[in-house]
Amino acid sequence: MMHPLKSIQSYLIRHRISLATLLTLIVLWQMVAYVSPKDPASGTFLVPPWESIFGSALKGLSDYWKINFLAPVPSTGGEQTYLGAFLAVVYHSALSIMRLVLGLVLGAIAGVVLGLLISLSSTLKRLIAFPLHLLRMCPLLAMVPLFQFWFGTELIGSIIFIAYGVGVIYLVGTLNAVANVPRRYVEYAATLGVSKFVTYSRVILPAILPELFSSVFITLGLAWTAVIGAEYVGVENGLGRMIIWAEFFSQTDRMALITLFILLFASISFIISRKVSAYVLRWMPTQYDYNN
Amino acid sequence: MNAVETHLIGSENARDIIIEQAHCTFRLGSGREVKALRDINLTIPAGQFVCLVGGSGHGKSTLLRSLAGLNPLTGGQIRVGTHSITRPSPEMGMVFQEDTVFPWMKVQANVEFGLRAKKLPAQKCAQIAKGWLEVVGLGDCRDAWPKELSGGMRKRVAIATAFALGADIFLMDEPFGALDYVTRLGLQRLLLDLWQQTQKTIVFVTHDIEEALILADRIVVLKQGSVVDDLPIRLTRPRTEEVRASSEALTITKTIMSHLGLDEVNQPSKPSAVSPLNLLR
Repeated sequence: MMHPLKSIQSYLIRHRISLATLLTLIVLWQMVAYVSPKDPASGTFLVPPWESIFGSALKGLSDYWKINFLAPVPSTGGEQTYLGAFLAVVYHSALSIMRLVLGLVLGAIAGVVLGLLISLSSTLKRLIAFPLHLLRMCPLLAMVPLFQFWFGTELIGSIIFIAYGVGVIYLVGTLNAVANVPRRYVEYAATLGVSKFVTYSRVILPAILPELFSSVFITLGLAWTAVIGAEYVGVENGLGRMIIWAEFFSQTDRMALITLFILLFASISFIISRKVSAYVLRWMPTQYDYNN
Repeated sequence: MNAVETHLIGSENARDIIIEQAHCTFRLGSGREVKALRDINLTIPAGQFVCLVGGSGHGKSTLLRSLAGLNPLTGGQIRVGTHSITRPSPEMGMVFQEDTVFPWMKVQANVEFGLRAKKLPAQKCAQIAKGWLEVVGLGDCRDAWPKELSGGMRKRVAIATAFALGADIFLMDEPFGALDYVTRLGLQRLLLDLWQQTQKTIVFVTHDIEEALILADRIVVLKQGSVVDDLPIRLTRPRTEEVRASSEALTITKTIMSHLGLDEVNQPSKPSAVSPLNLLR
């Protein structure tokens, strides 16, 4: 076990180029903020400086705390507090993340199960090919109003919308992956006298996992877009809706701050997916194995 | 009288493989028909080690896959005793040329996989799998992922899996084809030991005449989907270098090579009308 300070030091050294780039971007942003003009109507920065983003904007997020509990509610005359801002961020983030997770899980399960079922029949595969192609081509955000009209703007509506967007990707991914499973595995399972169900659950399903995990990374980005998109258009809470509220008063610093929160959560979700993928696919040979 | 002759004389047995007028015609994507098997008639007595030898695309693998029930015939039939073979079953242990050990299951789970399908209790499966892994020399690798093993070790896992199922007949499609020479010799020895101890029938496809001479009781030569020769191999076992260098072995090798059109290999080559040097200019 390395000494914690030592491991931080080695981390800094290993990632020195990325860290330098990040630092440069932060400094560049600040420089642009100082030379950029202010919005003539509202007098706010077009490019907000960091002290504004983490100062007044952060505290200002307490405007979005609407429950008269623990912290005062500014919209009914209470004062802005950091606690209120924290609670507002937690509340709206939790709603967005819940939609994201439920939509992703539902969409992934539906897409994979449907994909496995359809792959059983070549007729069904041919039947679904063209409509599926159309669905894939249709920009996801074009469907938000229609979905909200059908399923409402509450939790269910947004979850179904995300699940739809994610599900289409998983369905296509599963169909392709099943078609790519080496025939020898299925034939080998047949010679072992294994039932069709066990062949699907213990042979085909694990065999398609490596390809499915590429869908996981695609859909994660897509699901974040879908969540924020749904909140822009109709859903009355969540991180996306917070940006819309800030935009209403041209509060660029708040918009930047909320975007940073979304960036943070999206990054965390990618890191978690990478770790899960590495664990689930720990059996997978790399280019360094199988050379004997 | 040795075991080979008993089998040759022995009467029809419930475990004999009988191939009668087997035909198989494929239609390729271009619409061209390929006659992969033409009128094959063979009886393989229980306990015999048969090698199917022939060039690429001459029907060895097709015949073996038909025996496994993976490739339906377009004429004739294949029986084991009175039981007709139409689809794959665990009564036939199959070892493929390619790696079929499932990379997502640990070694022990791979061997247990087929046993679980037989609805044996979990403890019994584990015990059988453990035993067979010991037999093939992988007792210490039960908990390893297949990617941690060498190609030869993974072949041992495939052999353990096939034998663990307790089939009477083993079908092997160039199982050692992709392995290096030394590893192949080790696996040939393992397979012969298992065969001699268990007295199972083995049908073994190979394009390597030397391998066939090391292993077989009988060599069946296939050419263009037909049996062109059926040679009993009466060489003494073990088939050492000396045995394989005997005049009898040499005669067999020459016979097979002439069937495969390889007898010209030993002749000095005739200059071709177009010299490769002309093409390089």
